[in-house]
Amino acid sequence: MTSSTRLAFTTTKRPSRNVRLFRRLLRAMTFLWLLLAILAASGYAQPGGPQKHLPRQRAASSDDGNGIINVQPSDLLKQPVAVNWPSYNGDYTGARYSSLTQITPRNVGQLTAQWVFHPRAVSPLEVTPVVVAGIMFVTSANDAYALDAKTGKVLWHHVRAISQGLIDDPGQHHNRGVAILGTRVYMETDNAHLLCLDARSGHLIWDVPYATGNKNYGATSAPLIVKDKVVVGISGGDDGVRGFVAAFDAETGAEKWRFWTIPAPGEKGNASWPGDTYLHGGGTTWLPGTYDSDLNTLYWGTGNPAPDYDGSVRPGDDLYSSCLLALDPDTGTLKWYFQFSPHDLYDYDAVQTPVIVNARLKGQPHKLIVTANRNGFLYILDRTNGKFLFAKPFINTQNWAKGLDENGRPISAGLIPDEKGVRVCPANGGGTNWYSPSYNPAAHMFYFRSFEACAVLQSNPRPFEEGRSYYATGIRNGDETGKGYINAFDLDTLDFAWRDLQIGRHKGWGGVMSTAAGLVVFGDDAQNFVVADGHTGKPLWHFHVGQLIHASPMSYAVDAKQYFAIAAGSDVFSFALP
Amino acid sequence: MGNFLLLGTLLMFGFTVRDANAQSSNTGPGAQRFMEYCAGCHGADGKGGDKAPPLISPSGRVNRSDSDLFRIVHDGTRGGMPPFAQIGDANIQAVLQFLRTLESNPASESASPETAVTGDVEAGRALYFGKAQCSQCHLMQGEGGFIAGSLTNYGRNRTADEVRQAITTPDSPLVPSSQVVTVTTKGGQKLTGVLRNEDNFNLDLQSQDGRYHLLARSDVTDVRYTEHSLMPRDYGTRLSPKELNDIVSFLVVASRTPHVKKVDAR
Repeated sequence: MTSSTRLAFTTTKRPSRNVRLFRRLLRAMTFLWLLLAILAASGYAQPGGPQKHLPRQRAASSDDGNGIINVQPSDLLKQPVAVNWPSYNGDYTGARYSSLTQITPRNVGQLTAQWVFHPRAVSPLEVTPVVVAGIMFVTSANDAYALDAKTGKVLWHHVRAISQGLIDDPGQHHNRGVAILGTRVYMETDNAHLLCLDARSGHLIWDVPYATGNKNYGATSAPLIVKDKVVVGISGGDDGVRGFVAAFDAETGAEKWRFWTIPAPGEKGNASWPGDTYLHGGGTTWLPGTYDSDLNTLYWGTGNPAPDYDGSVRPGDDLYSSCLLALDPDTGTLKWYFQFSPHDLYDYDAVQTPVIVNARLKGQPHKLIVTANRNGFLYILDRTNGKFLFAKPFINTQNWAKGLDENGRPISAGLIPDEKGVRVCPANGGGTNWYSPSYNPAAHMFYFRSFEACAVLQSNPRPFEEGRSYYATGIRNGDETGKGYINAFDLDTLDFAWRDLQIGRHKGWGGVMSTAAGLVVFGDDAQNFVVADGHTGKPLWHFHVGQLIHASPMSYAVDAKQYFAIAAGSDVFSFALP
Repeated sequence: MGNFLLLGTLLMFGFTVRDANAQSSNTGPGAQRFMEYCAGCHGADGKGGDKAPPLISPSGRVNRSDSDLFRIVHDGTRGGMPPFAQIGDANIQAVLQFLRTLESNPASESASPETAVTGDVEAGRALYFGKAQCSQCHLMQGEGGFIAGSLTNYGRNRTADEVRQAITTPDSPLVPSSQVVTVTTKGGQKLTGVLRNEDNFNLDLQSQDGRYHLLARSDVTDVRYTEHSLMPRDYGTRLSPKELNDIVSFLVVASRTPHVKKVDAR
């Protein structure tokens, strides 16, 4: 077996003794189950005959491309991901880091397109494919598809028409993909229903509308499975909805808990929300969070307060908008929060993936959250208690804050959007945004896309109205031609190892991933899908997909072959070595 | 318009559209033909576009009978839609079948007028999940199997007679993605499953345990096509007329019950 065909895996930390014992037990149980599964499958295929394996297929295991979809909670706890990519960010850390090493800096030049899948897309795809056992699951608006991950051929298609009457992001019918547990697939619809589909057929098992009472609610995200629950967020934060994170029983669809991100009268943090303004305060939760099973904590970012640019109706810090929330996944109870942009006036959502990192910081081992925020600062927090540890600005033109104090709270530069408008950097689109960051634990390197641009933000207050956006503004964009960068932040030096300017006329909205082979993978600003050297940023290979990349990449393997996949424009592309 | 509708009523076509055994039929010829001939004007989701009106009503329904739709596609309309007789009746039927799949899932309030059933719905439910073994393969409102098509919405736009016919004479027509095939691999192994996909290079089979067998044709020495789905062909004799009628009644009535769980925001 040559190195080019070998799939290697790395692990980043040694688990505790209890965890190891538990894993041994799981392995033993899995083995017995697999044995039964193989016998059953062979028996069905050839009653009474000799048991042989399929060509190009190996013994049944949840890690193999064997076509059996049955994702166990233990499969979701594997870190880092390898053959399967069973959730939006791959694993619970949000690191979007694959342990597959078949594609290397030396051979990546031979990477070739394997297939293209063209769903019925009504807007640019934002999905990250999920792959389990050689089956890929993607969404396009309210449609879900299962594909043969080797060929891109459709195995099933769940059809659901787009919803009429939605506004803003949900009205564009974006959808970022599925979650999977057991033999079931979960997805959110544009009008905020949680669907449970049979992963083997695509048939609807149940359909739960989970945001009612305000027509401006919608959903665009992928759900997150935690233990036996499906956790969802909500969209519409620029449109005067009240944000929440909610968890549903994965079996029955029954609601188990709901954490409202905007406190009601009488609740802690309500001071900013006089009267019924809390019902329209925003703080939406439109990207999947991350989860630390050891600490039993769910980390979930919240969006901007509403109305976006008019702070006069929401005095104070506007909790819990633009925050990172640490929630108990069993009860939805808030453990702690960290607010990046108190009383935000610039649309600085904080939903960007809070990446779980175990690393030394200034010589000491830490349980960290590393996240690049839309407000232009990269933050490092202690994830056991939310304590601020470090920040680094990454937008050169940043002008809204004079800096951060010792607790990480920004020192305002006093820029207040008014009728005339005020020039703010980064622009309302953010110094970074929902496109994925990535952390390579072997290189201690945190990768993310940033965007240098400014905008003139105006405030023209008007009351909330259903069916209409609540931006309370007319935005005059300042720098339409901003500059995009792919950044590598080194956790050892607490400085950038490199920043790679993206030249091109199409502002990229593509996320970043990395691999154990030292590769960093992303979409650039010229509609190219790029693989670069993670140590230097030097591009090693690219492929012109000819469409705007509005999604984040992932990697998987089937039949001992590693693939990279990305959604671009109205298509999903898959690449592998010849 | 009056003449137009009268004509549609007079020209009753004897075919029924059956996809009870189809996986999702949206990868099949209907979807392909729809994308080829219809989507350019009516939109890929059938919701209309600049050139043509929506095919799906605001309540998510295609408010025409299959025979009406067949005639419109076949002959065109005075409003400017060209005739599509040249693509052949089979292709038109496939398009109509796909069109039904575009209907949204939550059952709307407007049930078809011809919903009258004469059987015992509860007895039909018991048979469906019990003796008749329908639920082993077919999902109904979240309960049942996966290898065959979901029947949650199946009876919504079909008459009791159409449903009965589909049960007693399955595989007419046979939906390609429902066909059972037996494949022999180069290693001599025989695999039997439902043919979800095939082309000159690959075969995707799904066996009844749910497993997908993603095969390269170069690894296969023989493919036997059964020309049948997994649907038993003896329901006409296995079940009494009353039992059959009860099951049909259950399918028709259950399909008109909303399948959305209510959740009250706290």
